[in-house]
Amino acid sequence: MIRPGFARTSFSRKLHVFLSVFLIFAGPVVPVVTGQVLSWDEAVSGARGQTVDWYMWGGSPAVNAYVNGYLADEVKRRYDITLRQVPVKDIAEVVSKLVVEKQAGKDDGGSVDLMWINGENFRTCLRYGLLYGPFADVLPNQRYVDWTNPTVKNDFGTPVEGMESPWGSAQMVMVYDRARIAEPPRSVGALLEWIQAHPGRFSYPAPPDFTGSVFIRHIFYHVAGSVDRWQGDYTQAELEQAAEKTYLVLRELQPALWRGGSTYPESPVRMDTLFADGELDFSFSYHQGDASRKILDGLFPDTVRTYVFDEGTIANTHFVAIPYNAADKAAAMVVADFLLSPEAQLEKAKPGVWGDFPALSQQKLPPQWQQRFADLPRGPATLDDVELQSHQLPEPPSEILIHLEQGWEQQVLKNR
Amino acid sequence: MNGRGRLLFWTIVLSVGMPFVPLLLWSFSERWFFPALWPQDFGLRAWGYVFTTAGSQILGGLTTSCLLALTTAAISLLVGIPAGRALGLYNFPGKRLVALVLIMPIIVPPLAVAMGLHLWFIRLGLAETFAGVVLIHLTFCVPYAIFVLWGVFSDYNPEIEEQARTLGASAGRVVWSVMLPMILPGVTVAALFSFLLSWSQYLSTLIIGGGKLLTLPILLFALMDSGDRPVAAAVSLVFVVPAFVALVASARSIGRRGLQGVR
Repeated sequence: MIRPGFARTSFSRKLHVFLSVFLIFAGPVVPVVTGQVLSWDEAVSGARGQTVDWYMWGGSPAVNAYVNGYLADEVKRRYDITLRQVPVKDIAEVVSKLVVEKQAGKDDGGSVDLMWINGENFRTCLRYGLLYGPFADVLPNQRYVDWTNPTVKNDFGTPVEGMESPWGSAQMVMVYDRARIAEPPRSVGALLEWIQAHPGRFSYPAPPDFTGSVFIRHIFYHVAGSVDRWQGDYTQAELEQAAEKTYLVLRELQPALWRGGSTYPESPVRMDTLFADGELDFSFSYHQGDASRKILDGLFPDTVRTYVFDEGTIANTHFVAIPYNAADKAAAMVVADFLLSPEAQLEKAKPGVWGDFPALSQQKLPPQWQQRFADLPRGPATLDDVELQSHQLPEPPSEILIHLEQGWEQQVLKNR
Repeated sequence: MNGRGRLLFWTIVLSVGMPFVPLLLWSFSERWFFPALWPQDFGLRAWGYVFTTAGSQILGGLTTSCLLALTTAAISLLVGIPAGRALGLYNFPGKRLVALVLIMPIIVPPLAVAMGLHLWFIRLGLAETFAGVVLIHLTFCVPYAIFVLWGVFSDYNPEIEEQARTLGASAGRVVWSVMLPMILPGVTVAALFSFLLSWSQYLSTLIIGGGKLLTLPILLFALMDSGDRPVAAAVSLVFVVPAFVALVASARSIGRRGLQGVR
């Protein structure tokens, strides 16, 4: 449900193609070395009275309500900052806009002050030098972040190094309806067997959809038999070999999928709809609390539950970043810091508000705050933090992600 | 209206109106699962979101969209009427080339047009301004307006204007009292086309407006893939209503036949 930077739709693909063609004709963009970053005191004093234009994926009414309600009110009250949300369909559009602005030499007074990104869009921003920073180390609330956690330290294999500030965390969870299935398969292997035994009752969104893509990576980890090996050095041959095995498993799975694998849901939204309508017995979400939220909103029945595989499920962190030409950098830094405050993170974690999982490490928080997070009502379908955090797997680097998505298209989609 | 006419009328009303029924139901539904034919629970959550949480955003979007679409439609007509008249009534060398150039912005993907112009608009200081967004909308609207009016003027008989002049009408009077009433249905169609095209622009508004101009489509598109069908339905209705009003308001003059001249 939350798809900040990583909504890699066919549309954003198209955009990237145009962008590359555009850059060929317009000449290369040279990344500039960023100058001195504001100190925290300078940021706070400069922020007063500024307006922060925050460009973000605007597809979730819950997120929009949190941003335009709680966050906007609090930063106005505390720092006299006006927060203006600019909802977009896909943050890649904003990244393209920044590339063009860089090309046109618009180096200050840019309209984007803050953006919600991660993964490949972060990598694109770094490659073209579109970000201001490193600013994240300056923010006081960083002290609650566990920078040694591999899912925070690296953003899809790209070292963060203070160029973006964490906002929340996401983890893939399986979704099922207790009223229909009493005991769901608890591992990837068991799920594969279940699908073969129940033809037509499972499907996954077609990659490059992000949720479908993460499903493929679970199969990849399953057949490769190792997770850590892909974080460090691996050879191209090893990757090819594991990828081939993944495609083989997925091809064998195809006849047992929904509609015999002749078509795939185009988005997780569509998959959730099919699940809610009883066409599928499972859905999955790259958001731990999404199912509870959908129950609250009346989109899922009350008997829906979630679970994680015994071997763990893939997790990542989503971030906010400040563009190199932002007009209101000081206020953007103050907002990024407030986003990380225990108050704002607690409010965000409430299932009735958004239910996004904190970017803060529970161990680093003062005891009274730990208690408050522990006391949060979790919603009927959401697992507790201990269960979730003890079952987290890091994302592989973007190269593997792209390799698998392209391979899937060639070897699974076209080879049926 | 005879029996057959009535049947035709209701067929059209139903086929146009039916798609809105699920939208209306969705916007008022709280819970609605397959295989229920009717929402299991009705509620105002979606409309609450539209009017309270996102109220100021949506009201702002409505105003911006209306202003943009009206301005764009007005300028499209100002350009389209003389251009359509020239293309419809006269033959001149290079006419087909002009037609090709005019149709270019429609053939070339809007994304390419918008991204290419963005760079220039930044340099000219037009990016992120109202004028800039009107200009980019015009690149899509003006061709349609011209093509509609070209067709209208192809059937237009300028001899009537000569008759009016012989009877002592001034040039302005001829335009106002003779030409405009005769081409009015075509003008309305062209204006409506431009209005609706501008009204539904998403990508070009986003690229050139850069988020400074939050139109309804920008808010709507961002919400569309939320999977929250009640909210998406409510916002869709907010989006459709002004366009529908524009259509109904112009229906009379489209339905009317232009004044027929005497040859």
